[in-house]
Amino acid sequence: MERELISKKELLDLTGISYGQLYRWKRKQLIPEEWFIRKSTFTGQETFFPKELILSRIDKILNMKDDLSLDQVAGKLSPALPDYEMRSSELLKRNIVSRTALQAFAPNDPDHTVYTFEMILFFYVIDKLLEAGDMSLEEGERLLETLKEFFPKFEGKACELVFVRKMGVSWFALLSMPTELFFEKGVKVIARLSLTEIIEELKGKLV
Amino acid sequence: MDHKVPDLHISGVSTAPGGHYRQVTIEGVGKVEGNVQADDGCKISGIVTVRGDLQAASLRCEGKLKVEGRLSAESSQIDGYADVRGPVHGETLVLKGGMNVKGDCSLERFDAEGGFEIDGLLNAGQLDIRLYGKGKAREIGGESIRVRKGVQGAWKKLWQRMFPVWNPELTADLIEGDEADLEHSHVSIVRGNRVILGPGCRIGLVEYRSELIKHPAAKVGKERKTGDGSHFA
Repeated sequence: MERELISKKELLDLTGISYGQLYRWKRKQLIPEEWFIRKSTFTGQETFFPKELILSRIDKILNMKDDLSLDQVAGKLSPALPDYEMRSSELLKRNIVSRTALQAFAPNDPDHTVYTFEMILFFYVIDKLLEAGDMSLEEGERLLETLKEFFPKFEGKACELVFVRKMGVSWFALLSMPTELFFEKGVKVIARLSLTEIIEELKGKLV
Repeated sequence: MDHKVPDLHISGVSTAPGGHYRQVTIEGVGKVEGNVQADDGCKISGIVTVRGDLQAASLRCEGKLKVEGRLSAESSQIDGYADVRGPVHGETLVLKGGMNVKGDCSLERFDAEGGFEIDGLLNAGQLDIRLYGKGKAREIGGESIRVRKGVQGAWKKLWQRMFPVWNPELTADLIEGDEADLEHSHVSIVRGNRVILGPGCRIGLVEYRSELIKHPAAKVGKERKTGDGSHFA
């Protein structure tokens, strides 16, 4: 589940963008500061990026910049959560969240309850893990509480969810990205999800 | 805005509280305690310390300015010396004199005549640097980067008094730009589309995509041509 990194040089060769473009996008905050990861290599300091994130971001910028100014693009990409809201019935109909998850975690909410983007995100993450068979319902409840309590503290900064288990005992952690994490022997990393990526994914599904 | 935003005016020697102002004018020796926001602009002549962030539509500084926080001004003109903890944000910054920034600088246009020391990344669209003293940055990145030694002339004596010991030279760990046109630069790695190295350059490694022009007096350790940058994936 390690995140793959790409060096700046590889990135430019792969996408065909220039150094100037990359720096301009950084100035305009189209590419978040946290994605610039400085590492020492044998040639000196080099900058790396999380591969999946940066490639999809560059793709988006290149697609949008023909129609929009860079400042407008920046608004569209802002890490802040969009203010989409959706009724639970709509979520079910569009298959964004499963009925099992909604019934388990929001049993008392009537069918037409309107959820904020944040809540939809939490359900979506939990649903993902449940469906993959990685997590039990009871653990899901704990995850929901963890997300509710700590996710807002990130204030739109890149955030990663780690779910590990050792000898049957499980725990969750939210980390600010990018970060390296090492575990003792016997710890099983069940899932490591970039919430930033999931937000992007979910945004795509909701619109 | 409904209520009127006040002006701040200091002449002589005084201390003022920070806050939200329309126009900030300081002549003499002034100190501002805390963050300052100037909606219209900030004019400084003399010696001024801001104990916090300085945010202004425009900044005009003649003399010595110290900002103990971040500086953000759409257009800044600094004639004299500025010491900023940083980071620095803005559209254009015209510097005649010296500047010292502890953080990153992010500007669309950076026009510098004199010397500077930037501990972080100097990121600007257009960089035009004429050195009369020492120029130093950890990293420089942008679209077009041009470094020259300052013109010799009537001002030379004055500049030599301001920067007595140093030989005009730019030092950086890394310079990356679409077009890098350098003279008198001592850089570990230069990467760009088109790289021009003039006299006085000492470069460890050059990586260029389309063109490299080298003056015979430029010293280059290694040079490498990389992907031509013309294909789009």
